[in-house]
Formats: sequence, structure tokens, C-alpha cells
Amino acid sequence: MTSAALVLPPAAPPARPRVLLVGTALASAATFMAFAWMIGLYVSERSAVVSAGGTWLPDGSNIPLTPGNMAFATMLISGVSIWWAVESVGRNDRQMAYLALALSILLGAAVINATSFLYSQIDLPVASTPGALIYTITGAHIAMLGFAMVYAAVMVFRTLGGEYSGRDREGLVAAALFWYVTIAVHAVIWYAIYIVK
Amino acid sequence: MAVTETPPETVAAAGSATPAATRPAPTGLAAVLGSGDHKVIGRLYIVTSLLFGLATVVLGGLFAFESVDAATLEVFSSGSVLQSFSLFRLATVFLVAIPLVIGVAMAVVPLQVGAPAVAFPRAAAASYWAWLVGSLLFIASYLMDGGPGGTSGSGVNLWIASFGMVLVAILLASLCLATTVFALRTSGLSLARTPLFSWSVAVAAVLWLFTLPVLVATLVVSYVDHRHAGGVLGGNAALAPRVGWALRNPQVYVVAIPLLGFFADVLATTAKARLALPGAARAAIGGAGVVSFGAVLATNDASAVETPLVIAMGLAAVLPALLIAGLIGDLFRRGSFRLTTGAVYAVSSLLLVLVATGAGALGSIPALETAGTIYDIGVAHATLVAAVIAALGGVHWWATKIGRQGANESLGKLVPLVLLIGGLLVSAPHLVSGIAGEGIETSPDWTGGIEGLNYVVVAGSVVLLLGLLLAAASFLPLFKASDQSPRDPWEGQTLEWLSPSPPPIGNFDADLPTVTSAEPLVDLREEN
Repeated sequence: MTSAALVLPPAAPPARPRVLLVGTALASAATFMAFAWMIGLYVSERSAVVSAGGTWLPDGSNIPLTPGNMAFATMLISGVSIWWAVESVGRNDRQMAYLALALSILLGAAVINATSFLYSQIDLPVASTPGALIYTITGAHIAMLGFAMVYAAVMVFRTLGGEYSGRDREGLVAAALFWYVTIAVHAVIWYAIYIVK
Repeated sequence: MAVTETPPETVAAAGSATPAATRPAPTGLAAVLGSGDHKVIGRLYIVTSLLFGLATVVLGGLFAFESVDAATLEVFSSGSVLQSFSLFRLATVFLVAIPLVIGVAMAVVPLQVGAPAVAFPRAAAASYWAWLVGSLLFIASYLMDGGPGGTSGSGVNLWIASFGMVLVAILLASLCLATTVFALRTSGLSLARTPLFSWSVAVAAVLWLFTLPVLVATLVVSYVDHRHAGGVLGGNAALAPRVGWALRNPQVYVVAIPLLGFFADVLATTAKARLALPGAARAAIGGAGVVSFGAVLATNDASAVETPLVIAMGLAAVLPALLIAGLIGDLFRRGSFRLTTGAVYAVSSLLLVLVATGAGALGSIPALETAGTIYDIGVAHATLVAAVIAALGGVHWWATKIGRQGANESLGKLVPLVLLIGGLLVSAPHLVSGIAGEGIETSPDWTGGIEGLNYVVVAGSVVLLLGLLLAAASFLPLFKASDQSPRDPWEGQTLEWLSPSPPPIGNFDADLPTVTSAEPLVDLREEN
């Protein structure tokens, strides 16, 4: 058996598959499923209360539009800056890549800041159904965003450190994919929680 | 350093003309604790889950004994009985069946697809250690009176966190396995040519990646609710109902999907013939994944099991196993027959999964009113035992790749039959009790079932325990070093049989030929 294998000419080395990209796509899908369920639970609980004639948010609580809108707009802009980072690495433009990455991380931090400011404005106790769900969902999203920021930073530094060349920027493309899923999740949160409340 | 980084030894093995086997392998404790080698990780998963399996079967037997006279407690205290029952049910799935299947897959899938390593080896190693630590903390939380319904607040918090850790570890392992199949196949090995076991592992891994995050999210919400929100979302009392969907069909079928691939691969090799319609087999396994998407039941609405979608999924779940059985039947019509131990394992596990999915199909008919009764436990037990039989069969079949030499053949032929009988004995009484309906304890907890029939479950637990011990005994040769271990003891069809036994780091000691069909070793034999 072994000798039979050895007499054949060896196969050409396989085109190195995009392992990191495939793994990130699967991880992103898994993360999206978790958020889909949590937001589904939020919508379901809210619908049950409203259809029973109750009010969803407790008296004295309110979700102001401005911080939520600002956070979402910032998140959308960060989608452009992370794309800029990917393009810069593709052109081996180290300076622009660092600038774009720094901007992306700054925008990510701004989203976290806007969300924490929102927490200070809504006066919503965690010991209430909407409070428990809103803090859980938005808190989980902040954790996801934090991971996306670290992932993007690591991948840019590894790319610029020579692990990937300008044409082979799989690591950063993978990080960008996760970033875009983070934006997509934020879009759903923005509509379901900040707009519809 | 990111856990996603490919370690240097893997890059060397993948890109260098020099076989990686010449590298000195780490020895002693370092070879276990610090290894990213998928065979080592697989072995760790297999041994640990088997140990958990022995304890879980004993626990199940005790519950069956307790259920013989549910009015009095002989073994457990009234404060611990409900919690211990939840430990038994969750452990069967998340501490035994899934990790056992993952262990076999971790050891075999990279070899089958011609990869030098599993994708993200450090993440794969992290998955095992996180699962082990999470499992021990999970058990510790019960000792703190912290399971669902427990009175210790800290214990319940630990239960939620440790269960989440176990799930994240399983997700990480699933990610590594699915990525290995999708992105690390050797030249010419398209998805359409991927061995059916690897294909079925990929389907199961993707299903876990799409469904278990829902369970993780459930636990996150439950943790915030219990720890910070004072139980506004149900608190401690809601924990068990919230995770119940992961313990019943269709979700529990996911763990049995690799069984279909194992069955097809082993019996095709046994019959010494090529599968006539490999695309149909692949579609059947993919279809099994579709009908096993149990997250549709992750809702507060108990009537969700009676929606047309869920009923259709339940009815259709039996079809993939029937289709695979039909395709294999055709193989034996065209090929030859040998009584291999792998074939006995494969047939036993398929018979039991047919019982499980057939019972599940019957139970999905709303008129029978079995939903939410002990009937669900019967279906789950049959499915889980089938998956365990297939996983143990995998250990036996691929023993020279997982261990140092082949398993004990004569003892091995006995094991699946014992486990099949045990599986039938622990599941059939629950199915009968569930069908019996009104007037009998039919709740899906430890009090359920026709009391007299629970003697049968006790007997079944003893038989299962015996089967597991026999399996462990038959695997003892795997730990003994041997220079005589053949590369291909079964005249296999797929790439793993080209690797030395046991495989070195890097898996193969020569460059692999370009794969041109789903049975590359059959091609090689025909060409030579």
C-alpha cells in the first residue's frame, strides 16, 4: 500500500487555503446566532408586555435617541476605516495602514464610550426585564466589539510584520469580516432597542 | 500570541519536503500538557469522556433504581434529587457523547483529509483543557448545591458559568474540525470527494456552531438575570426549562450525525466496493443536519413542538439513516462481505439510531401526546448510546492511528452487541411509558415511567456499564508500543491509511498523491 503511494508523482502543493478566513466566517456566524437569539428574546418579551396592555420600559426610564444614533453612525464609519486598513495593507502602504487601524480602534472606543454614556442616561434598573435584557445584549455587543478591535490590531501588526504579504492579507480580511459582522449586529440592536425601544 | 496562529511545526510539516517525522517528538508530561497534536488532543477527549461516561451510567442506573418506587427516596435526598437528575441528563450529552465524538473526529479527520494538522491546533488544545476545567467546575457546582433549583446562589452562578465554559470549549473544537474539513484538504480532495466520516463531522460541527451559541446566549441572559437582576426573567427556576431543548430531539440528533459517515466509510471498506451514489450519501448526511436544527425549540413557547416545521423535522429525521442504510445495502450486493469489528459497531449504532429517529418520528405526531413526557428521554438515550457505540467503533476502527496498535478483535466484536442491548434496555421502557400516557407518571424527570419497567432500565444501565468496561478492556492494546502496527489493517479506501501507524507529527511520512476520486487508495491499488 505504502509503496504504491510512493511510486506516484507527488501532488502539487495545495493552494494554501484561507484557513483563518474560513474559521472567522464560522465564528462570526456562531456569534451572530447568539445575538439573534438574545434579540429575539427581547422582541418576544417586549411584544408580550405591550400586547397585554403594559408599558415596556419602567416609569422614569427612557432611551434617548442621540447617543444610540451617534454610536451606530460611528460604527458605520468604522466600517469604512477598517476597509481602508485592508486596502492599505494590500498596497503595502504601512503608514496608511497604521493610520486606518488607529482610526478604526478609536472609532470602536468611541462606540463603547457612547454606549456607556447611554447607560448613564437611561436610568434603567438592571432588576427589570427590559433592563436585564438591554444591558445583557448591549454589554455582549461591547465585548464583541472589544474582541474585534484586538483581532484587527493583532492581524494588522502580523501582516505588517511580514507574516502576510500585501497580496496575501488573509488575516486582516478575516478581522475585517468579523468587524463587519459586529456592525451588522449593532444595526439590529440599534433598530430593535434604540429605535423601537 | 493569537490562538489562531499556526504553530511552527505545522508550517514546517505542510511546506517542507523533509518529513516532519524526523523531528524529535516531545516526551513525558510535555507531550500531553503542551501538545497541539490533534491525535494527542483526540486521545485526551476520548479517555476523559469515557471516564465521565462510566460515572454517568452509574448515576443513570441509580436514578432508574430510585424510579422503581418514586414515592420514597432510597439513594438521593429530596434536596439533591432534581439537581442530580439534571447533572445526569446534561452530562450524557455534554460530558460524554459530544466530547467522545469530538475526540474521535479530532484524531481522525485531519488524517482523512490529508492535512498535516488540525486547523488552529492551539485552539484545539485550548478547547480540551477548557472543556475539562469547565466540566470539573460544572460537577463542583452541584456539590455546592448549585444546579438548577439549587439553594446556593454562588453555586448556581458557578453552574451557569461552568456550563457556558463547557459549551464554548465544544464550540472551539467544532470550529477547528469544520475549518479542517473546509480549508485544509489536500490537493484534489474536493468537498465532493471528502470521506463521508469527515463530511459528517463537518455537518455536525457546523450544526453545533449554529445552535450551541443559542444555548450560550441563554446562559449569559440567565447569569445576568440570576446574578444581577434578581430573577426577573425566571431566575433559578427557569434554568432547567431553558436548556431543555438541547437535551431532546431534534437537537440531540446532531451528535449522531457522524455515526452516518462512520457507518458508510466502514461498510464501504468492509464490502471492498465504491459507494454507487456518494452524492446521495452526502446529501443524506447534510439533510440529517437540516432536520437536527434544534434551536427552533429555544423558545418559551411550550407549544413550539407542535408547529408544522418541528413536526416535519421529526418525521423526516428517520430518512437520512434509511437512505444511508439502503446505499450500503447496495454495496454488499455488488461487493464482498467480511465480518470486521468495525462493521459490527457500525451496524449496531445504525440500528439504534434507526430506533431513535423512528421513535422520534412517531413521537412528533401530536395525537400521541408524547411531547414533554418521558418519551423524549427514551429518544435521547437511544440516540446518545448510538453515538457512543459509533464513537467507540471509531476508536476500534482507527486504533492504529489513534493509539499505538490495534484493539482486541475478539473482545471488540462483543462490545457493540452488549452496548446495543444496553441501549435498547435503557430507552425502550421510557418509550413505552411515554406512549402509555394518561394516568401514569410521564413527566420527563426522575419520577417518570411505569415503575415496574424501571427495573429494565436498571438492568440496561448495568449492561451499558459492562459494555463500556469491555470496550475499555478491548482498547488496552492501544497503550502498548509496537513496531508491527500495520498502516492499513482493513484495506481502507481513504487517505488516513497512507499514514504510518501511529502517525507522526505532520501525519504523513511522504508526499501525498493528487486525489482523483472519493476512494484514493482504491485508485492506487487499481493503478498498481
